[in-house]
Amino acid sequence: RSLQLEERKPSQQIAQRRVRKRRRLRKVRRRVRKSREEEERKQHVQRRRLSSSSDDNSEDESMSEGEMARLKEEVEEKKKLIATLRNKPWRMKRRLKCLKEAQAFVEKFEGALGKGKGRRLYAFKVMMTKKIIKFNRDFENFKTACIPWESRIKEVESHFGSSVASYFIFLRWMYGLNLVLFGFVFGLVVIPEVLMGMPYGSLARKTVPREEQDSAMDFSVLFEFGGYCKYSIMFYGYYNNQRSIGLLQFRLPLSYLLVGVGIFGYSLMVVIRTMARNANEGGDGAEEGTFTFCWKLFTSWDYLIGNPETADNKFASTTTSFKESIVDEQENLKDENIHLRRFLRILANLLILCCLGGSGYLIYYVVKRSQGFAKKDRNELTWLQKNEVEIVMSLLGLVCPPLFEVIAELEDYHPRIALKWQLARIFALFLGNLYTFLFALFDEVNSKLENEKEIKNATIWALKEYYTNYTLYNNVTENIPPPNISPADVIRGPCWETEVGIEFVKLTVSDIQVTYLTILIGDFLRAVIVRFLNYCWCWDLEAGFPSYAEFDISGNVLGLIFNQGMIWMGAFYAPGLVGINVLRLLSSMYYQCWAVMACNVPHERVFKASRSNNFYMGLLLLVLFLSLMPVIYSIMTLPPSFDCGPFSGKDKMYDVIMETIEKDLPPFMADIFSYASNPGLIIPAVLLMVLAIYYLNAVSKAYQNANLDLKRKMQMQRDEEKNRRNNKDSTNQVMKDLEDLMPNKSLIPPPSAEETEIPADQLRKSPKVTGKPGAAATGKGVHVQKDVSLAAANPRAPVTRPPGPRPPGPLPGNARGPPPGQGMGRGRGGPPPRR
Amino acid sequence: KKLNISHSQITRLYSRFHSLDKGENGALSREDFQRIPELAINPLGDRIINAFFPEGEDQVNFRGFMRTLAHFRPVEDNEKNKDLTSGEPLNSRTNKLHFAFQLYDLDRDDKISRDELLQVLRMMVGVNISDEQLGSIADRTIQEADTNGDMCISFSEFTKVLEKVDVEQKMSIRFLH
Repeated sequence: RSLQLEERKPSQQIAQRRVRKRRRLRKVRRRVRKSREEEERKQHVQRRRLSSSSDDNSEDESMSEGEMARLKEEVEEKKKLIATLRNKPWRMKRRLKCLKEAQAFVEKFEGALGKGKGRRLYAFKVMMTKKIIKFNRDFENFKTACIPWESRIKEVESHFGSSVASYFIFLRWMYGLNLVLFGFVFGLVVIPEVLMGMPYGSLARKTVPREEQDSAMDFSVLFEFGGYCKYSIMFYGYYNNQRSIGLLQFRLPLSYLLVGVGIFGYSLMVVIRTMARNANEGGDGAEEGTFTFCWKLFTSWDYLIGNPETADNKFASTTTSFKESIVDEQENLKDENIHLRRFLRILANLLILCCLGGSGYLIYYVVKRSQGFAKKDRNELTWLQKNEVEIVMSLLGLVCPPLFEVIAELEDYHPRIALKWQLARIFALFLGNLYTFLFALFDEVNSKLENEKEIKNATIWALKEYYTNYTLYNNVTENIPPPNISPADVIRGPCWETEVGIEFVKLTVSDIQVTYLTILIGDFLRAVIVRFLNYCWCWDLEAGFPSYAEFDISGNVLGLIFNQGMIWMGAFYAPGLVGINVLRLLSSMYYQCWAVMACNVPHERVFKASRSNNFYMGLLLLVLFLSLMPVIYSIMTLPPSFDCGPFSGKDKMYDVIMETIEKDLPPFMADIFSYASNPGLIIPAVLLMVLAIYYLNAVSKAYQNANLDLKRKMQMQRDEEKNRRNNKDSTNQVMKDLEDLMPNKSLIPPPSAEETEIPADQLRKSPKVTGKPGAAATGKGVHVQKDVSLAAANPRAPVTRPPGPRPPGPLPGNARGPPPGQGMGRGRGGPPPRR
Repeated sequence: KKLNISHSQITRLYSRFHSLDKGENGALSREDFQRIPELAINPLGDRIINAFFPEGEDQVNFRGFMRTLAHFRPVEDNEKNKDLTSGEPLNSRTNKLHFAFQLYDLDRDDKISRDELLQVLRMMVGVNISDEQLGSIADRTIQEADTNGDMCISFSEFTKVLEKVDVEQKMSIRFLH
């Protein structure tokens, strides 16, 4: 038995071994098959990708021959596979999978080859994609052709350069913005009131009061927006406070409020979007320092100039810009009296602050006076007295900027910096003026509110009296009809919103007038005089004193920005103001284009416009925020007039929203809103936002730092490369020693040759130089030329006279290891020449 | 077809070609180009005109005209690149820069030397700056751009210099959409 057992064992073992072997083999075979299949699949996928990508690519043209052949091959393969699938020794599941794949492949691509069922579908797809692409192109071309005034702006650009044209592009952009705002206001507020609201004369608020009716059509009254103008759709007071009007139950008060706020929201969105787009288009110019001269050389010509006169100017400006850069490099040579300069700058700033304060006070004074005038009878006042405020503000805007420029001469800044200071000061001037004006206005509003209380009391008292009389005479106590007074005779409240609206409209109109007059007189008249008086004048008027005017880009742009600020502020109180602005921008475009071409000469220093664009947008954003605040303040805190405007009768203007939520929206919305306005929810939300802002700020700072680090590394690499190539180590040492020897200016050649020695920016960032032992590389006499180390990175300097073939041992300069200081270099002999 | 210009663009280019061709002989000569004011007052105008004409010839036909102008097609973001098969399209950033590079590199040795820079400077600034200063400006320019120390600006260095410049937008003509 044992034998049998033993015999069985081996046979068992053998059998088992055989079974195991078979299993192993099967596994291996399976693995091999799987890997092969995977490879095949990958190849198929790759080919499919290639062919599908080539398929996509070939929308415009058919596939190339090679691809067709390859595709054909594969389709044939797949077909063969399908045919022979039955004979393969696979499992059913696998066969089915394979079959599905192969069939899908054949279906998809046979059409491409022009046969089989998929052919027509494929051809159709190709044709449709071609058509769509063509349609897209045509549409893009059409959109480009539709841009208004493009040819006009291009003409200005070719004569005056891209900087002046940028003003007109900005003007056009503003026009687009105002057009959209106008659409909102007109469509959602004015038209419903006109079509569906009560007509003129039906209500007290819509009628000219009896006492004013005689003079309501007078031109002088209309010119100041009194009379019929005041009681028209242009101003806040006309709109009725009926909750919903017309067939469609249009809720006018709600719409008025939402449009008023929506104007700001839309403007904010558009400005930020434009800023983001400008920033993307390389508007940062952060790398000015590294390639200054290269860029000047390669990119300073403005290829869009087509006029010889402008071309001459461009020549001159290129020259000037080169000279300017050379001067820039020499700036540090000017080691003048720093204290004097600082004193002068402080003095200048003080003077300017005085000017600003003075102008602010002047406006306040004038506004106060005009309030006094308003109390007197209109007819007694002269035109000057009536329009004092506007005239004073415009005059200040005209006189102060040149004054600032003159004072700024004291400061002696680089022109670019001086320009920025100038813009900031003018901005402060306009801002100060505007806010003083607003504060004076709000004083007036408050006094009107007081007045209103009295009138309100009087009205209620009169009404009560009427009812009592009626009851007395007719013995009826209920259902007394309302007093039958014509709307023109009703006692009116002062309606402060309309007054505010009138003020803004008057300001805008006077601003328009001043601008147009300035162009007419300052540019046109001047040009006419210079041209025609030149024939009989002692000196050359064209070249000498008055000459032709240049187009003042910054002044015009700032004027535009502030005008827009006033519109934003006034649009809530005077819906017609946006319409006036649209007309103004439209006419301004044509007028200024004509004036520029007819009366102005190109700038002497034609400068590039691209980088300033975001600066103006930033200003616009600031002005937007500043003009948002008064409106929001008045919506939130001031009570609306009791008898005029869409919010009359309410405590606060935003009560309309509460009312809507209560009455029109389903009840659970009211619950949601009341929860949402719970301070317990708002405060955490605000905190969360603050945290988010802080986090994003930190992240962006980290990115900036990383950026700087990378830039520095790149810079180091470049310098290392250069140094390595030129075997600088020895001469570095020598040159540094020489520097130590002669720290004063004697080493510095005349300005023109300095160019070669100033790889300033590169070396500022190169720590390699500063790290040299015992080196005063970037210190000492070098402060004269920024951070120039006369040695490194300048391939021309010492390379021309290498100290002979290099000795095998350490170089003479380094012979004694890290040299203790200045004494070492002297042993070497005379300095190698610097060129 | 390689240039990827659409039918309408070709029509427009042909009408422009036709309007420039005063001699009505189907080809443009240098005088025809110099009639364009923007090119006439451009200091590099002659070189730009030269770029249209193939080596040594005096006439450029419409195909050559199109080929040169194809450099100025705007670069589309979603341009499905045919990098795999036919090489870069003519209006890629590299090719645009190469076009500009060839305006400066007159002897076609793929390097802008100091003398070539001096020539350009003289044309751009004329006599208003002394020769010495011009020389220094040229030296400084090379110094800024040169990375391998050969005292010339090669094409790769040129590309690096203009890395931050928005070449795709500046060297594109919008109507060639």
